[in-house]
Amino acid sequence: MTERWFPDDMPMPAANAETVGWWEAAADHRLVVQRCTACGRTRHPPGPVCPRCRSSASEWSALSGTGTVYTYAVVRQAFIPSLQDRVPYIVIAVDLDGASGARMVSNLVDVEPEEVSVGMAVEVAWEDMGPELALPRFRPGPRR
Amino acid sequence: MTRPGRRAVIAGVATSDYPHLPHLSEHAVHGQAADRALADAGLSFAEVDGFATTGFFPMYATGVAEYLGLHPIYFDETNSGGSSFEVLVEHAAYAVEAGAVDVVLVTYGSIQLSQMGRRLGTGGGGGGFAPGPAIYDALWGNTLVGNYAMAARRHMHEFGTTPEQLAAVAVSMRRHAASNPQAQERQPITVDDVVSSRLVADPLHKLDCCVISDGGGACVVTTAERAADLPRDPVYVLGAAHATTHHLNLSAMPSLTVSPAAQCGPVAFARAGITPADVDVAQLYDSFTITVVLTLEDLGFCGKGEGGAFVEDGGLEVGGRLPTNTDGGGLSACHPGMRGMFLIVEAVRQLRGEGGATQVPDARIAVAHGTGGMLSTGATLVLGREAP
Repeated sequence: MTERWFPDDMPMPAANAETVGWWEAAADHRLVVQRCTACGRTRHPPGPVCPRCRSSASEWSALSGTGTVYTYAVVRQAFIPSLQDRVPYIVIAVDLDGASGARMVSNLVDVEPEEVSVGMAVEVAWEDMGPELALPRFRPGPRR
Repeated sequence: MTRPGRRAVIAGVATSDYPHLPHLSEHAVHGQAADRALADAGLSFAEVDGFATTGFFPMYATGVAEYLGLHPIYFDETNSGGSSFEVLVEHAAYAVEAGAVDVVLVTYGSIQLSQMGRRLGTGGGGGGFAPGPAIYDALWGNTLVGNYAMAARRHMHEFGTTPEQLAAVAVSMRRHAASNPQAQERQPITVDDVVSSRLVADPLHKLDCCVISDGGGACVVTTAERAADLPRDPVYVLGAAHATTHHLNLSAMPSLTVSPAAQCGPVAFARAGITPADVDVAQLYDSFTITVVLTLEDLGFCGKGEGGAFVEDGGLEVGGRLPTNTDGGGLSACHPGMRGMFLIVEAVRQLRGEGGATQVPDARIAVAHGTGGMLSTGATLVLGREAP
């Protein structure tokens, strides 16, 4: 079993009524996005109302888990002490396929910093944090 | 809402000592700046009926008011990060123009550097503290610098902006800092120095990042009518506006190459009845070199994507396209965490002709623009030497 990348003392999310569905899906390795059932807009992070039409009706819409790198940074100085031995690591903003308007910040793994580029195809790679928590990260995905 | 005969002006400004104040508390920095700004204005604490400041815990302004012995009938502690002080001065202008109060003291104080116990840094934290939706970025180890690095990378991708162009911002700020005896870093640097300095979060290098300092400042907002009896030439608040697009999570920012300045800048200019071409000197938030490039574009000093070329070849230096951050900015002079007050103080000094070696000749209109959070907020103040 490989060592978990995320250290034990990372700040952990506190799910609430509006976000618990996202975390529950993640625990099952299903990447979902919140979709407004009134106007169809997707949004991330999850929230109580649609920022476009203000409807509070929403559903968890399943995604394929693929996307493209909108932009990225190679973090070489971490500010959380327990991440300081993980540098360099890559933080990406990823545009998720099937979720227009919903961009997600995550990591890109299994790639050298020099090989990353804006527009790169990526696919989700799950990291289990425990029985009820898994975090989506990304790795270079199949060319489409 | 403006009452006839009430026009907001800045009657006094000051900076505290900076950039290293291990012997002072945060409150003492506020006090030093307040004393000096009121002395500059020719006013006493007894004449202050409004007070504004902000910091990082609730009821911050009331705490500082107590320390200063003020019992104001107007107070404000709006916190929009680095743009807070432009917002606080805008609010103060409305308050005095509405006739709610006559004299608003606005102060800032920070001992961020001494609290960290080190002399130089690279833009502070990010991570452990992740309120609300910010956790959706912080969980993956994203940092404050990382956010700005992602904006820089996207700007490079869309417009071909180069690391050398970003570096030119840092080089020009350092050139101005050489004339500021208080500046934290004064040794001249070259573009090569910047791009060969350590990468903190690609594509941003250490010298693309602001210094970390102790320091503060203050200004006094009153009416032109009240200022007529005061010693200093008043500086008019010609127009102001602020905007926000997201909290501390960059994932919710609509476009990483367009900051909130694109929204509030044109509004502030319209309220002032000016265009970017009328601006003689600019004080623009420079937490990172990319912050300046985005702000220049979004305020309309150049087209979107043209910021890289605009800052090259001394474009931001006195005598250049738009003299910017004439005190050396946050990149070289002083950055105690929320630098917006320094922008206002330097803008006023330029309009009064007190800019020293970096004075812009005959400066009549200045812009101070603060940026807060992760490109989350923007606030523009248009200041002028003459009544509108």
